[in-house]
Amino acid sequence: MAFPKQLAHGSREHKLYTRGAWVAFVLFVILVAFAYVDVGTLSIGDNNYNLSVTRLTKAVAFMVAILGLQVIVGFTGQLALGQSFFFGTGAYLTAWLVADHDWPVLLTLVVVVPFCFVVGMVLGLPAVRVRGLYLALVTLGMAQVFPAIISLQQLQEYTNGAGGKLLDSDLVAPSWIPFDGIAGFLQSLPLVGDFFGDGDLSSREEERLWKFMLAIAIAGVCFWMVSNLVKSRPGRAIRAVRDNETGAAVSGINLALTKTLSFGVASALGGVGGVIYVAELGIASPLDFSLVLAINFIVGLVVGGVGTLSGAVIGGLVITLIPDWSSATQSAGFLPERWLQGPTGAFILGVLLIILTFVLPGGIVAGFRRLRARFVQVMPPVIPGAGAATTSAEPPAEMTDEDEREPTPSSTPGG
Amino acid sequence: MELFIQRLFDGLTNGSTYALIAVALVLIFKATTLINFAQGEFAMLGAFLVLVGSTEWFGGGIPMWVAVVVAMLLTAVMAAGVERVLIRPFDPSDHLPLVIITLGLFLAINALAGIIWRFDPRSFPELFPSGTAFTVAGARLSWYGVFSLGTALLVMTGLTLMLNRTKVGLAFRAVSSNLESSQLVGIRTGPTLQFGWAIAAAVGTLAASVFVADPIRQLEPTVMGRVLIFAAAAAALGGLDSIWGALVGGLSIGLVQSLLVQYIGFIPSDMALATAVVVLLLVLLVRPAGLFGTKAVERV
Amino acid sequence: MSQRVLDVNGLQGGYGPIQVLHGLDFHVAEGEVVVILGANGAGKTTTLRAVSGMIETSGSIELYGDQIVGRNPADIVRQGVAHVPQGRGTFPELSVEDNLRIGAYTRSDNEVESDMEKWYEAYPVLYERRTQAAGSLSGGEQQMLAVSRALMSRPRLLLLDEPSLGLAPLIVADLFQRFGELNKETGVTMLVVEQNAQLALGIADRGYLLESGSIVFEGAADALMNDDAIRKSYLGI
Repeated sequence: MAFPKQLAHGSREHKLYTRGAWVAFVLFVILVAFAYVDVGTLSIGDNNYNLSVTRLTKAVAFMVAILGLQVIVGFTGQLALGQSFFFGTGAYLTAWLVADHDWPVLLTLVVVVPFCFVVGMVLGLPAVRVRGLYLALVTLGMAQVFPAIISLQQLQEYTNGAGGKLLDSDLVAPSWIPFDGIAGFLQSLPLVGDFFGDGDLSSREEERLWKFMLAIAIAGVCFWMVSNLVKSRPGRAIRAVRDNETGAAVSGINLALTKTLSFGVASALGGVGGVIYVAELGIASPLDFSLVLAINFIVGLVVGGVGTLSGAVIGGLVITLIPDWSSATQSAGFLPERWLQGPTGAFILGVLLIILTFVLPGGIVAGFRRLRARFVQVMPPVIPGAGAATTSAEPPAEMTDEDEREPTPSSTPGG
Repeated sequence: MELFIQRLFDGLTNGSTYALIAVALVLIFKATTLINFAQGEFAMLGAFLVLVGSTEWFGGGIPMWVAVVVAMLLTAVMAAGVERVLIRPFDPSDHLPLVIITLGLFLAINALAGIIWRFDPRSFPELFPSGTAFTVAGARLSWYGVFSLGTALLVMTGLTLMLNRTKVGLAFRAVSSNLESSQLVGIRTGPTLQFGWAIAAAVGTLAASVFVADPIRQLEPTVMGRVLIFAAAAAALGGLDSIWGALVGGLSIGLVQSLLVQYIGFIPSDMALATAVVVLLLVLLVRPAGLFGTKAVERV
Repeated sequence: MSQRVLDVNGLQGGYGPIQVLHGLDFHVAEGEVVVILGANGAGKTTTLRAVSGMIETSGSIELYGDQIVGRNPADIVRQGVAHVPQGRGTFPELSVEDNLRIGAYTRSDNEVESDMEKWYEAYPVLYERRTQAAGSLSGGEQQMLAVSRALMSRPRLLLLDEPSLGLAPLIVADLFQRFGELNKETGVTMLVVEQNAQLALGIADRGYLLESGSIVFEGAADALMNDDAIRKSYLGI
């Protein structure tokens, strides 16, 4: 078989390929979950790296927030960078409802989503007039202010100020899922069984798994909805606004409405991320939602790839695992220990952000697509009768099967 | 009344630092319509160099003010390097990559300072004489206040003279006004912009040093993060491309902050930051060119 | 024949992947006024931008025998080329006086002030408004300012890009008359790109006709003026 293999868009093979990828992905997620719920660490030299499922759930929370940034920055082209503001809002709303009003965690989504949506739209209104760097400035300022708002004396009774708001999650693993059975099966596999630890899972471990799966399910719904949004008519309007505002306006797109709606969607996603985060962590503390988190989200956006959905997944993992792992690294041979004790993770993220902007403006996703294009190419569907006009046009060298433009930061270094 | 005047003095004292960081932002914005989000971190780094220089270099440290000058030079060189390597390769009209680069710098420099110097606050050498300079109706203006205000005035005057009286200043204004025509009259635009970055960093280092030289403050890596928001609000208020606007903006923001905290009971001092964000938003909505700005500011 | 100021051979250039110029050959001799005529999109502006180093080019551009392809604009200015771009390219926020002074940026002699006096005398309106921001001048005044600024560098070659653009006909006529005088009085060599063929040919010695990035006709100004095809398409008479 010759590579790259060419698949026609919408053909049986293409569908098989797409579905196969999805099934593989879901299986992978389950395997990872079970592999790391128990063992939880990976040892390299003297260092133990935590890979437990709780970290992954945190990563999923970040992914949803970054997905929101993809909507507003990647697809709408607005430099609204204060996503930590909405992430924190969602987290605190949930913490308050669960701790003080005994709401089930999942039910709080019913309040968080519309609340963040509306707040996002209202705060997004100025963006109809303020653009570019100014918007970046204002939104980063909002992110900077958030911890101060939470610590306000007047909100103390709701937020518990600097001490953080504790909540008792009601998310207990349901008995109908045979966690022990699955774990037992995986453990009994030859060769790889050891990776899955041994014996039955404790109720704590089951709870972690359950939260992880819920997080994945919620995130899955969010990704599915955004992916549909992007492909829909409003989604085209959104991207038109990004690519050429004037052009979009004269084509009859309501700029103000499109922008404020994207703000709403992005903020709601930020809120959902916050809900997942606080449900896993069990506490919301003001300094968790600082400007640094906002910048970390931007790192996640860029590292994964601006304007790609899968980029949000990679981004979420990167901003969770890199700081975690670098603080877990206590000795690295060539580096003085002093360098490993400080905020090494943040340093790496900062440097990564700069380097990637240069070498891979489309993020890791673009790099991956370039690699994949060497094996599989998806051709656009052939429309009968439309061929005559376009036969002379050469097909673009590289194609993607997603209705997304590849790298958004259009400028590349070298000038 | 005494309290009011005291608050006024406090506001002006704080405001002069905001003005200095604001003018650093203005210098870069003027030339490239770019906001350097890492400006505050450059300044923080400079202040640490001053601290280390005056206490550790050559055994017992070099004289304080010499350390300030050396730190200004070092950060200027660093900023010039950053401009050349990280900023110049990008198309100035495409904001996203540039915002990302400066945010990456923000993160990296802040973490680097944390790695090298840790996050515990350190006391900074006193750059100015301590004590009260004079008393008005019972309110005290410290020597520190007098000198920080004086430094701001001096820097603004110096920058104005440099821009209006020197050839490089003329070139800098030309590049700010029309990049393409600047090339066509023979200006090497890259080095000219680089010069702007260097001056901005030097001014920032001076500003941060003056800021943490206040006996009530200490130096630690996050000290300039908040200041940057105030400074951005100040720069926007003054008009993002006006030097003297930055001074007026900085002092106004300082006053607003100090008076609000005093007279509106429920605003805790932390929320002063929120007032800065609100001022920023209001300026951009109501008068995007600021009080003294000339440049047509991007808005719909 | 007098010395060639500019000798261009096989000039190619464009913007990114789009090639605009497909191998141009033309030259400008000492003291001449040469005009390049052509419709919108023919590549006139691109030609001038190639000469002053603003775009990537290939081929040969010799300035007094020196190869200048690949040099950056700042260096080419120092070689004696002054370019007045389309839309005048003044510095709107700077005062009229600063605009003139920046024109002499590459000079280090001490006659800058006296040159400024000269242009103030030639165009008294600039003197009257010397402290005002250049952006506050009228279109015609800005064009005078742009040309004066370009001449402040004491160029050996002046490039003018569509000086008539956006100006009222009366002002344009006056402007071209001044260009003609300028050439006669100072002897400055000029390469003018224009759509207004009649006026441009009126002051020109020779002309080229540019179509879709290639030169399709060249000759003395009179010859172009009297060519039937050109009269029809470009002179409208």
